Amino acid sequence: MEQKFISNEKVKALTKKLIPDYEIFYPRRQEESWDWARMEADSEFTFEGHRTVLPLKYFFYSPQENLVEKKKDKPRIIFGARGCDTKGLSLLKKIYLEDPEDPHFRKDILVFSADCTTYHPDCFCTVLGDQPWATENFDLNFSIVENGYLVSVGSDAGAKFLKDHGGFFESARSEQEKSMSSHRTSFEEELKKFNGNKVLDLKDLESKIEKHSDVFKEYGKTCVSCSSCTNVCSSCFCFFLSEGDENKIRYMDSCQLKSYARVAGGANPREDLIERFKHRFTCKFVYRPQMQGFGGCTGCGRCTAGCQGKIDFQEVLIKVAEAK
Amino acid sequence: MDPYKTINCKVIKIIEETSLIKTFILEPEKKFSFATGQFIQLTMPKIGESPFTPSSSQFAKGPFEVTIMKAGRVTEKLHELKANDTVGIRGPLGTSYPLSEFEGKEVLLLGGGVGMAPLRSLLLTLLYEKDKYNKITLLYGAKNPADIVYRDQFESWKKRGAEICRTVDAADKDWKEKEGVVTCLFDDYSVNPKNGVAVVCGPPIMMKFGTFKLLELGYAPESIYLSMEKNMSCGIGKCGHCGVGKYFACKDGPVFKYSLIKDIEGIWE
Ligand SMILES: Cc1cc2nc3c(=O)[nH]c(=O)nc-3n(C[C@H](O)[C@H](O)[C@H](O)COP(=O)(O)OP(=O)(O)OC[C@H]3O[C@@H](n4cnc5c(N)ncnc54)[C@H](O)[C@@H]3O)c2cc1C
Ligand code: SF4
Ligand code: SF4
Ligand code: FES
Repeated sequence: MEQKFISNEKVKALTKKLIPDYEIFYPRRQEESWDWARMEADSEFTFEGHRTVLPLKYFFYSPQENLVEKKKDKPRIIFGARGCDTKGLSLLKKIYLEDPEDPHFRKDILVFSADCTTYHPDCFCTVLGDQPWATENFDLNFSIVENGYLVSVGSDAGAKFLKDHGGFFESARSEQEKSMSSHRTSFEEELKKFNGNKVLDLKDLESKIEKHSDVFKEYGKTCVSCSSCTNVCSSCFCFFLSEGDENKIRYMDSCQLKSYARVAGGANPREDLIERFKHRFTCKFVYRPQMQGFGGCTGCGRCTAGCQGKIDFQEVLIKVAEAK
Repeated sequence: MDPYKTINCKVIKIIEETSLIKTFILEPEKKFSFATGQFIQLTMPKIGESPFTPSSSQFAKGPFEVTIMKAGRVTEKLHELKANDTVGIRGPLGTSYPLSEFEGKEVLLLGGGVGMAPLRSLLLTLLYEKDKYNKITLLYGAKNPADIVYRDQFESWKKRGAEICRTVDAADKDWKEKEGVVTCLFDDYSVNPKNGVAVVCGPPIMMKFGTFKLLELGYAPESIYLSMEKNMSCGIGKCGHCGVGKYFACKDGPVFKYSLIKDIEGIWE
């Protein structure tokens, strides 16, 4: 599809125009990290940077919510989602929206993603063979070019948005398209280099995880079952359904907690800490690809960044994947 | 349709089966039906929700039954219910026993303890169309005579054409049937694994040794059907809790062919 250009000034004007009709969030810079903030008329924002501390998924469902029909909030636009987060939505949508559809998972969200221009030291999308820009589950994508952005369309909703707000956009010039490609290539190279130019072959991971379970013993021993890794993950989806006074309540839950799989009578298939630690990898790299067709890890590195036991999940994965 | 919404059911009658097990006859406010082997999530308002398999025939119209063992937080509250109270249900959920695969075969039901609940539903469903099956047998074990559920019903099932053998782990002076764990019933019963299927439901340890015994007797892993009991929360394949290897027991099960799950680590735990 044809790409568009929008200038820096026009982006500002566009967001001002959108604020009354949408709830807009953007990545706000906090020294070296980014967190999600609500866009106000005077918000200073940029599409530069890398993933936020918290994942994109919590815009689609809340970590804790009453499962009642909600009065319709304004539709949402999320600016500046990164490739690892949009990729994570594939599994989440498969789980939540298919057979039967979960009516509490929001479908009225426009995702305006942006190419990464920096990386967090724990980022490893390229190690999984993915790119540091959005390739799926975005409506519009913004790539920084001189004086503005090159805008690509990712969905019908994105195309409609462009049409409805046509006055803000102009046709892209071929040198802008070239500039976007070269930015992408050079940043991808930079991140690959940072990650030792590794691209893992995840084909035989099922048997390797079993065969090299000592790796999980070695790395899992500092795990304290805090569930940070699952809470911040771009694609972990587990929850616990509980009873409120009037309705059901959904809380996010974690396979890293001891009680997660316990059944009445006390039997527990994953009583053991190391079994739980290993299970997280098997789920992400074996079970979900086999059953849902989408992996459960996109290399955002949040689990490593948030780990209370200082476990480097990327290192664990590499150890297992590269073992013979 | 919100899959988290419950259908209200009135508790019509409560039958005390044993000191720990009660059968509840429930009348749904709306039309509700299930296929035998499927389960429901039963909501105790403001307390919680637990999965149970209806224990009545899938062909029975109107009210249906669930048989519940007191085992913890939610089931304790369920046991305090009185006639005319209201509970909520979601469902039917999950897979059912594939009756068409049983046709023309000898169907063997192997059950222990409260695992008899889904098997009773299956048994009654099979007996309703019993000419479709070559033979219907129930092998049932309980800890002791006082722990036997549906105690007044076995005779009528026999009359309707089921062959039934029972055992208890520890007999008392009035017990005239077999004594020993459930697999000892195979000592006196000759199976037909070549043209038979077996359905197993009960406590994990019983499922394990029951399945191994059936394999030893010559049943193919494809002819053994298990009802897997896992921790469940959503019941609709979203919350992740019920994993059996790559499968979700609530959606890909609870009824599994043994051949599908035999290589998965820890299925008996
Ligand atoms: C498909 C299926 C069919 C079944 N059919 C039957 C049947 O026909 N008859 C029968 O008697 N039993 C049946 N069971 C077993 C029955 O579901 C359990 O005995 C019941 O769920 C026990 O619930 P409880 O709250 O009383 O026990 P508890 O031991 O209190 O809870 C059981 C588990 O539920 C979770 N849980 C409960 N409450 C909470 C909470 N507040 N916070 C966090 N976790 C919580 C925990 O993980 C806990 O380990 C079936 C189970 C399954 C999976
Ligand atoms: S993991 Fe890749 S896509 Fe995600 S923030 Fe880091 S560089 Fe960007
Ligand atoms: S497993 Fe870790 S690196 Fe992979 S998506 Fe989840 S949080 Fe990110
Ligand atoms: S009970 Fe939630 S996925 Fe099975």
